[in-house]
Amino acid sequence: MNLAPDSGEAQIAEAAADFLLGSLGRARLHRVGTADLSAEQRGEVGGLGWFGLALPEQSGGSGLSAVEHALFFREAGRQCAPVDLLAQSLAANMPVGAALRESVLGGAVGVGLAVEDAGTLRVYGNPLAEFAIAVRPQGAALYRMAGVKAETRPSLVPSSTLRVIAGMPPVEAEAELPDLWVLGELATAAMLVGIAEAALELIAEYAKVRETFGRKIGAYQAVRHPCADMLVRIEAARAQLYFAATAIKEAHPSAQAHLDAAKHLANQAALANSDANIQLHGGIGVTEEHDAHLLHKQALLLSRLFGARRAVLANLLHQELAA
Amino acid sequence: MDLRYSDADIAFRASARNWLSSNVPSHRRPAHGPEAARFDRDWQRKLFEHGWAGVAWPKEYGGLGLSGLQQVIWYEELARARAPHHINTTYVALMHAGPTLIARGTDAQKAFHLPRILSGESLWCQGFSEPGAGSDLAALTTRGVIEGDEIVVNGAKMWTTDARYADYQELLIRTEPGSERHKGLTWVICDMSLPGIEVKPVRTMMMDAHVNMVFYENVRIPLANVVGEVGKGWSTALATLSFERGLGFIGDQLELAERVERAIELAGKVRTETGKYAIEDESIAQRLAALKADTMAIRAMTLAEIAESDRTGVPGPNGSVMKLMVTATHKALSELAGDLLGWEFLEFDGDRGAHPWTYDYLWSWVFSIAGGTNEIQREIIADRLLNLPKAR
Repeated sequence: MNLAPDSGEAQIAEAAADFLLGSLGRARLHRVGTADLSAEQRGEVGGLGWFGLALPEQSGGSGLSAVEHALFFREAGRQCAPVDLLAQSLAANMPVGAALRESVLGGAVGVGLAVEDAGTLRVYGNPLAEFAIAVRPQGAALYRMAGVKAETRPSLVPSSTLRVIAGMPPVEAEAELPDLWVLGELATAAMLVGIAEAALELIAEYAKVRETFGRKIGAYQAVRHPCADMLVRIEAARAQLYFAATAIKEAHPSAQAHLDAAKHLANQAALANSDANIQLHGGIGVTEEHDAHLLHKQALLLSRLFGARRAVLANLLHQELAA
Repeated sequence: MDLRYSDADIAFRASARNWLSSNVPSHRRPAHGPEAARFDRDWQRKLFEHGWAGVAWPKEYGGLGLSGLQQVIWYEELARARAPHHINTTYVALMHAGPTLIARGTDAQKAFHLPRILSGESLWCQGFSEPGAGSDLAALTTRGVIEGDEIVVNGAKMWTTDARYADYQELLIRTEPGSERHKGLTWVICDMSLPGIEVKPVRTMMMDAHVNMVFYENVRIPLANVVGEVGKGWSTALATLSFERGLGFIGDQLELAERVERAIELAGKVRTETGKYAIEDESIAQRLAALKADTMAIRAMTLAEIAESDRTGVPGPNGSVMKLMVTATHKALSELAGDLLGWEFLEFDGDRGAHPWTYDYLWSWVFSIAGGTNEIQREIIADRLLNLPKAR
């Protein structure tokens, strides 16, 4: 029993943090035209093998596990990484031919993230991507997007372009497996934990330098105590995330329940912490130049993906827990 | 990371479950008074005699010398078997006096007290807070004057749980005249039968008098009873508090999961004002599920913390994070139980066994105030974990 990343896991997390900060750091979102994952960025991510962390080696992946997958996406969350990253990683797990899988893993072709919404598909990600993946709790479909008519809609979330498609595009591959949903739910929970952590880091740093009434704001209990509460949400969500990731890796009988709990806690931690971060910054917190709104908007999207509050709680209520 | 239990852990769980299945007292603990203390001592003696006392205490001090993880397993099995609640009159002895003596006591103190604590022969109470020193513990003024090989104590302590039944007290006093704040304090073992000690019960909103004021008038305590060094009592007190804030509530935190399951069962049996079963009400179902997620996280946090303290030996400031999480969950569960029970929730005579949900609702304030208020825990987090500029 060990619920802290071991040295190998910690190394992966550190490498992911360095790479994502350098290549997809949050600062990019303050420049125009930086939504989504460009073909060039996709090739860079794919070239380093980040799309296939949990995929077996014989399928071209790294042969690691849900744990490394979660650790990578936690770092992606801190940078408000585009959801293309997740779509691409999930598509690599679809039952497609070896050539297509290789193109997905290496980033030669792109995959957007599709969400079914009342007979339409909402697709987040690079509009030029060749494919889009839609994942349901019991299965997934990979759609061919070439030539499909899509209407661009304004996206609240700076990291992702949004398009809406009426009707269903042609299907490239389908899978009747819960595994993809599990990887998607885990990755979104992990990204939300990363957001909750980044929000606390921002306000804790600001509280050490910003002065009001002649004192650093971090010396006021009106600031200190909400910051402490932010840490409590993080510790709870992160401990449960690690538990869930490890339960999935070990095929624990209660893995899905642990994952639902992790997603719920991560939804809550990211939304509440990114909210508190804006408020405690004061006026600067509502400006576009600041990162505070990026974290909150990203949390609004991720908390709706792979299990929003009502759905995860309804799933969780009656699941029995094995020791 | 790894969730698997070793063969030894699995065997330990099975043997604990088996023993508890036929040894948990069948009669309810008396609500108050010396008969409650007797019940607690009897249960502790039974655990001791059957080799279940001090699961994670070192073997050389009479414990089982097992890992922190096995201690977690033990508490999980206690909760599952609905064994007597671990916060009772033996709590201070087992959860802070014992660990403090193991960490800082002399050989003679350990040899005398530890076996008595484990067997339930000695009950302890805590003498830290005072009428003028609660959250600001370092403002304490109860003084001890060293005369020969004795310390003569005068002053008053406040909020001393179970002082009327305790044999000994962990007493924190000011022994250097004119010293201020954290300096000049001494942590001493006080025999509660000494002349000059007067205990006055304080009735609480829970319709009991588990807390007391303790007055000291020229109480003469042997210098040999000092734990740690004279004048360095703050350091010993911090060790005591770290046990309380770290794993001292481990039984409660693990029991919460069991209580949420009981609330889910209850919601399937009671009806709301609309006539529907409570569990069919979406807002209630969501609150129950959210509480279940919270208790799962508390367990994951506990297991992570246990791994940490198995490595370092002493719990760190993460205990403050845990206490905020646990007290908030406890309160939310108690409020929900109140909604489920409707009018029945308002029947109460102070008996925890007869009215557990109402008792726990009232207890939620004790929980978030005792052992350092939640506000003090947030200050500790801001200072020690977030390194924010000092407020004080």
